[in-house]
Amino acid sequence: MGAYIIRRLLSVIPITLGVLFITFFLFRVVGGNPAYRIAGKNASPARIAQISKERGYDKPLFLNWRNPLDAQFPRLCLQLVRLDFGESMTTKQRVSTMLREGMLPSLCLTTPLFIIELVLAIALALVAAFYRGTWIDRSLVILSVMGMSISSLVYIMVAQFWLASEWRLFPVWGFEGPQYLLLPILIGVVAGVGGSVRFYRTVMLDEMNQEYVRTARAKGVANRTVLFRHVLRNAMIPILTNVIVAIPFLYTGALLLENFFGIPGLGRLTVNAVFNGDEDVIFATTFIGSVLFVIANLATDIAYTWADPRIRLK
Amino acid sequence: MLFVLFPGFGRAESVLYGVGGDFKGFDPVDAGDVESADQVGRVYEGLLEYAYLDRPYHVIPRLAEALPEVSADGLTYTFKIKKGIRFPDDPCFPGGKGREVTAQDFVYSFLRTLNPRLQSQGDWIFVNHVRGAQEWVDRVSSSKDPVNYDAPFPGFVATDRYTLQVNLAKPYPQLLWVLTMQYAFVVPREAVEFYGKDFRNHPVGTGPFRLKAWRRNYRIEYERNPFFSGQTFPANTDPEFQADVGKPLPLVDRIIEYDIREYYTTWQMFLGGQLYSAGINKDYFEKVISPQLELSGDLARRGIRLQKSPLLNTYYLGFNMLDPVVGGMSEPRKKLRQAFASALNVKKYCEVLTNNRSTPATSPIPPGVAGHEPKPYPHAYDLERAKRLLAEAGYPGGKDAKGKQLRLTMIMPGAGSTDARQAADFYAEQLRAIGVELEVQMLTGAEYLRREHEGETQIFWAGWVIDYPDAQNVLQLFYGPNKCPGVNATNYQNPEFDKLYEHVVSMADSPERTALYAKMADIVVEDCPWALMTYPLAYGLFQPWFQNYKQHAFPYANWKYFKVLPH
Repeated sequence: MGAYIIRRLLSVIPITLGVLFITFFLFRVVGGNPAYRIAGKNASPARIAQISKERGYDKPLFLNWRNPLDAQFPRLCLQLVRLDFGESMTTKQRVSTMLREGMLPSLCLTTPLFIIELVLAIALALVAAFYRGTWIDRSLVILSVMGMSISSLVYIMVAQFWLASEWRLFPVWGFEGPQYLLLPILIGVVAGVGGSVRFYRTVMLDEMNQEYVRTARAKGVANRTVLFRHVLRNAMIPILTNVIVAIPFLYTGALLLENFFGIPGLGRLTVNAVFNGDEDVIFATTFIGSVLFVIANLATDIAYTWADPRIRLK
Repeated sequence: MLFVLFPGFGRAESVLYGVGGDFKGFDPVDAGDVESADQVGRVYEGLLEYAYLDRPYHVIPRLAEALPEVSADGLTYTFKIKKGIRFPDDPCFPGGKGREVTAQDFVYSFLRTLNPRLQSQGDWIFVNHVRGAQEWVDRVSSSKDPVNYDAPFPGFVATDRYTLQVNLAKPYPQLLWVLTMQYAFVVPREAVEFYGKDFRNHPVGTGPFRLKAWRRNYRIEYERNPFFSGQTFPANTDPEFQADVGKPLPLVDRIIEYDIREYYTTWQMFLGGQLYSAGINKDYFEKVISPQLELSGDLARRGIRLQKSPLLNTYYLGFNMLDPVVGGMSEPRKKLRQAFASALNVKKYCEVLTNNRSTPATSPIPPGVAGHEPKPYPHAYDLERAKRLLAEAGYPGGKDAKGKQLRLTMIMPGAGSTDARQAADFYAEQLRAIGVELEVQMLTGAEYLRREHEGETQIFWAGWVIDYPDAQNVLQLFYGPNKCPGVNATNYQNPEFDKLYEHVVSMADSPERTALYAKMADIVVEDCPWALMTYPLAYGLFQPWFQNYKQHAFPYANWKYFKVLPH
């Protein structure tokens, strides 16, 4: 297992390099030399040259034959490995400071949203599975499909207009206290729970068709006990996959919700950075996101061995 | 709800709630973008400022006692600094006590703008104009020693505690305009040295407000600067602005701005009375504005006011005059450019793509700036004329002598933007009507600027936002020596124009200068290095309780005049 973990951890390197390469290509190669944007409309060639030199934009993009590490892409990779995320060209803040400041608001929104949605989805999936084929199951499936068919934007706009602006049940916008999180969390749960319910219901029903369930029932074990003690435990692998892989996204924030409700988190930061072409912020969030994603996948694999002792990691 | 959302509502204190955006901080030398300039203008000031309510625009003294004395040769401007103007108390000063502003503070602040190590976007206001500026910049650039701000500098001299002399290398009548800009605001040296790199987060200015709280990406709050003094609401003849004449400024106690990015949210909050103002998104335009371009009944009934006013910007399509196909001063090349301009139905562009929030441009000098003459654009949309000129240029029906179709390439910024894509489609469609194939390349901002800067264009979309209301600011874009990588991105060069420019650039404002500006604009229109597109109009909605707003092309020091009525 140790060798497996080391191997998987090492896979962070090519995966992250690949992700960074694509991001770098899009923003630096296609996007052009950022020195022109930093220098502004009246800049002299000397000023552009000075900015390019200071920020390394005058180096070769990928390969410097004289010194392979002295090119823009290798320099970026080395800088990120040192956790030096540079400086935002829009706000002139250190990107590490921006990430630190944005992390808490993002987690304040995404963590409760994630937990509530997870618990609610599993509970509803269990109810649907327990009452499968009845009107309760059918209603839950129909509601789930309806819920997941509607765009999050619609939920946001309808809720912001009616619940916040018109009926004044919630604040329209802001991050001044817990009450400001209620509406975005509510919207996030409503928008996300449908898909999860359908997924978990399918997982539960797959398990309920297994031989051990038939055996348990034949032995006279109560349906409720079969469902909660056996089916739920055995359905843990797909549930764990779903849950652990989602954890990195708690950190990266909820792009739409943060933007519409003014939550100064990392999702909002990322959206703004993309709109502003703020490269250093984009490179940093991409780097952290890809590393966390690989680690989360590894954690999922490890969790499998806990959920199902038959699984061995080699 | 309002009390919950915005603590402070309902108290006697007057608070202005608005929407702000990302900006680079409070260092005036690094406030080249609109948002940074707007924020810096609340806490810092300069020697001069615009008279808020007067049109045409003119400058008045702010931290100067009066407008400067100008020597007979136009090379020396002497400013008397007002006595008793104070930097506010701040830990950067000994004992935390602020001090009086002196002429030396301006010398220091101006040199900071020149300092190449600070990479100010505003150094152009002094370089090439102020005596010794270029040499000083070169010296600092080539040295690794710390910048010595105390060494005598011939361009800026504090002759005594309250007298500042600006010595020019050549006459520069635009100096008074540029001294209103953020790059010429005064900062205390103690604050720059005390806060170091963090200075941009700790403004210590003489302006009407001071920073109270700032959470980037979310909210910024200013409060009245108790050390601000000596300014009252100006006397004027406009009935709308009589109530506050003579009252000490600023008129609001606090300004709170939220960094709201989604227009939908801004709109909900504006309708809920939580923001003093909102722009009009193009998707909302027809709901908000009637076909007669007035405010819709519902909003008008609520007392919301619509302000429409022209901006001093000009949008155009520029031709690279060094390009073998569209460039050059020969008659056929000129006719080709004129044909291109005449093929563009700019009126339709204004209607379809801007909701009529722009008008067809007729001169490179925008209306409201001396030198603009209200006469028709000779290359206005006329398809038959365009076809005729195209034929005379050697491309009858859009084909050359060998029958090959004329293909042109244009670059635009805004890759990925729907608005830019729609505009690109419009241009291509218009040119197709005269048989010309126009390929529009959508580029990222940085790549677009690089191509424009380095002259790697054939045709380019562009706009010029005027820095000060003097036609010289636009006409410099056609001056031959300013060609790429300078501001003359078309590489236009006309000896007659250049001669006039060299003559007019040092002239003080006068009817003679205005006539020359108009003549120069005529030359440019005839040679057609620009196919003129539009002059934009600003549309803003304002709450009935928000008072004293008058649209201004250079609005950065205007927050002190605004008023909020109890509501």
